[in-house]
Amino acid sequence: MAKYYDIDDIIVEEETVSVIFQKAASGVGIDPSSSIFIETGSKVELPFWLAHELQLRQAVSVNVPPCFNQKTRQELHADSAGVDLRSRCPFFYEFGCKIAPIVGDRTIGFLLLSAFKSRYKEILTKAHSVAFAAGSKFWTILTKEEIYLYETAQSAMASFKKWRMGGPRFQIASVLGRKRKSKE
Amino acid sequence: MYGSKASQLVKEFASGEKGQLTTYNNDLIREVVAECTQHHLDFQSLIRKMQEEGLDIQTAKNADHYGALIHHLAVVRNKRCLMAYMYNRAEIIRNLLWKIGHMLPQEIKVKLCSTEEEHFKNHSKALKNYMLKVEVDLTVVTSPSSSPISFPSPSPASTHAPDMVPPKDPYIKVRVIDDIGEGILLSDDKSANFALHSMHLLKRTDAEQFIAQGKMEELKG
Repeated sequence: MAKYYDIDDIIVEEETVSVIFQKAASGVGIDPSSSIFIETGSKVELPFWLAHELQLRQAVSVNVPPCFNQKTRQELHADSAGVDLRSRCPFFYEFGCKIAPIVGDRTIGFLLLSAFKSRYKEILTKAHSVAFAAGSKFWTILTKEEIYLYETAQSAMASFKKWRMGGPRFQIASVLGRKRKSKE
Repeated sequence: MYGSKASQLVKEFASGEKGQLTTYNNDLIREVVAECTQHHLDFQSLIRKMQEEGLDIQTAKNADHYGALIHHLAVVRNKRCLMAYMYNRAEIIRNLLWKIGHMLPQEIKVKLCSTEEEHFKNHSKALKNYMLKVEVDLTVVTSPSSSPISFPSPSPASTHAPDMVPPKDPYIKVRVIDDIGEGILLSDDKSANFALHSMHLLKRTDAEQFIAQGKMEELKG
């Protein structure tokens, strides 16, 4: 419940997973094309929030999502920093942590840890050395969590520089930040 | 898919920059609420069907039970999305008070719904009352005349950085970059002609509010 109001947490739980119904369910229109009766054993794509709750009640069994498949694992193993994780799942780590206990795949935890460890170093190095524009291609393959990390590292460096050099002390409120640009 | 409209709402909020408001999406909220009502009706009809079949709703786990469960979960999910949307917006709105003061500019006002405006007004009133009682103006950080106690940022979420460095000079050079209007009285009971692009030497305390509102900029010598 701690993350009830957390926007990112809500978006993570919107990721779809494919499930197999262990029980029949009637009167639901999950997929507009299919009938309103879901038979036992039918394979359906559900958002994570629904799949998770149904799995707790043993109504469905959850398959391992494609972003943790063998191909991704091999790519991560070969060159973890160059893999485009964003297109696979924008919240790769958060989603991985949520899905791991449900699908009962113990290897996902190791996969997340090793992927993060090797990418972490790369992100911090680039955040401190590469300018934003030059790093933009690198930028597109990061997951949301990694982008936060990247931004935090950059703002920490910017704050440090500002502290050392001394910068403007009065500033326009950030909510109004766009105002001048639109007028020009 | 169930809950997709609600998540669209949340994503719309998330797509804005941190601390920036998007326009209140009344239409989408109404659609999500309508979806909840529909789920409720479906849920009731499934439960009624089970009752008609003479089943115990608490224990029977047939297809209708799981159907009703899915509807229930969808309502709970929609509720969470709506709550998160309102909660996070309200937090930004309360923070506006620290950043740009008790008067909202028009460009921000149009993004709020009526209850949010009300919320801002009430919050502003409560804060003013509080400051009156403890006799400390928390919104003005560098005020030479008020009490020397300087408070740290009052809310942890507030991004208004207090100017903790003692100024070398009580006056700063500023340039006017937006229409301010005439007849503004400064603290020394003089008024100045703040024409667009004109430059002035002002007291820090006078200039601070205009800089925060984006109407002036500080000139660095």
